[in-house]
Amino acid sequence: MRVALLCVTVLLIHATPLRAAGDIGLGQYLAAECVSCHQPSGPRDADIPPIVGWPEDQFVAVLSAFGRKQRDGQVMQAVAARLSREEMAALAAYFGALTPQP
Amino acid sequence: MKTSRRDLIAGTGALLAASTLAAPALLGQARPRVVVVGGGPGGATAAKYLARDSQNAISVTLVEENETYQTCFHSNLYIGGFKRYDEIVHRYDRLASAYGIALVRSRATQIDRDRKEVVLTDGGRLPYDRLVLSPGIDLNYDSVPGWSQAAEELMPHGWKPGRQTQLIREKLDAVPDGGTIVMIAPPNPYRCPPGPYERASMFAHVLKRTGRDKARIIILDPKDSFSKQGLFMPDWERRYGAMIEWLGPKVHDGITSVDPKTGTVVTGFETYENCAFVNVIPAQMAGAIARDAGLAPAGGYCTIDPATMKSVVDPTIVVLGDACHAGDMPKSAFSANSQAKVAAMILRGELVGAQTFPARYLNTCWSLIDTDDAIKVGGRYEPRDGRISAVETFISQPGESAETRKQTQAENMAWYDAICADMFT
Repeated sequence: MRVALLCVTVLLIHATPLRAAGDIGLGQYLAAECVSCHQPSGPRDADIPPIVGWPEDQFVAVLSAFGRKQRDGQVMQAVAARLSREEMAALAAYFGALTPQP
Repeated sequence: MKTSRRDLIAGTGALLAASTLAAPALLGQARPRVVVVGGGPGGATAAKYLARDSQNAISVTLVEENETYQTCFHSNLYIGGFKRYDEIVHRYDRLASAYGIALVRSRATQIDRDRKEVVLTDGGRLPYDRLVLSPGIDLNYDSVPGWSQAAEELMPHGWKPGRQTQLIREKLDAVPDGGTIVMIAPPNPYRCPPGPYERASMFAHVLKRTGRDKARIIILDPKDSFSKQGLFMPDWERRYGAMIEWLGPKVHDGITSVDPKTGTVVTGFETYENCAFVNVIPAQMAGAIARDAGLAPAGGYCTIDPATMKSVVDPTIVVLGDACHAGDMPKSAFSANSQAKVAAMILRGELVGAQTFPARYLNTCWSLIDTDDAIKVGGRYEPRDGRISAVETFISQPGESAETRKQTQAENMAWYDAICADMFT
């Protein structure tokens, strides 16, 4: 039991920094795809809305709804259908940390 | 924390990708040099993402002969009167000032693959560690009998941006009521698959709006079918009546010849004389610089590795946009922009040890049929079975509500602003 716990701890210590770094880099890479259509500025009700500065859980909830085709929008449904939860979270973290431009 | 199996697989993928970066070939060298040839959607995007995301650890040089970029995408909206010409013109200044990209205002004429140098029109040479080639298309002036480069003023193509775009608009404006426009559509594969049909829609829109609704537009197509045909054709009939007539090869029986001086088009089926305006959109191929470098051994376009956008002939060169065979991806500005981001990520991995991820691509092609009536087609793409394959696709539906079509056009306009900002600012 103690050995098993130690293994888990070692794994966690080893995995956490890599995982966090991966999330940031992954978010930045995936975000490049979003900005072909989404600008970092503009009103929330723009025809293609800005997606920066959202609360992370809201960002993931909206993407997930597109992925399940519970929100309308052909482009976003196609985009979200291929994103894992981890990728959605990475995007939410990346865009969430940006400040909306006036 | 709840972790699904899919998350674990994705996480493992990222981890594996990261660990394969142990010894990038050029780590340790002074400053790796990337030369980008062509300042269109592929080249401009690649230059920006390479310079910006490497925080200038990579020396990026963009070779482009023109002072401004005039977008082919949305040039039909200029022809249709939905945009001013200056709204489709973009400058390169900010790529230099904001990201430190070296702009070389010259024409690249040749690639010396042995010495890894780009040769400029004045004989100057630019050495590279990696080359990004995004030259766009060349027109095959021999593909329509009787037509030639010398005839492109009389019978314009309008398939490269600039003066040709304006010529199309001028010729359209001069068409009399009752006049005949003939458009010769190109064979596959070509730049912007729905483009000819959006353009025909814009012709009809302008003619109708200006009271010339007895003019007719005849599309002579070498293809049996075309992009979004099931959406264009019912809308043409609904909005423009009999103005637009599309004839496939089984009907017109082939283009026999054109005569630019008399405005004549001869097909196996009929002769069209005294045409008010003939728009010849010829067959296309990768820009000469790519073909001359031996990167398109099969002739027309360059074959690339779907995971990296690298030429299968020379792994120090990536080929982007219209010049490459991109599997299921159409030749579009959106596709080139998407491919450029994958290539920039891969090259940063090789040159400065940046983290890399599995390639993924995206495209949407919007087409305007009439005021507040736009349609779209698109998809998401990934490397699969040795090619870029569609993994999700979508297309507008026949009989959609007017509200949906209006919203699609609003999205089209918003997309243009965003992607141009992404490329040039």
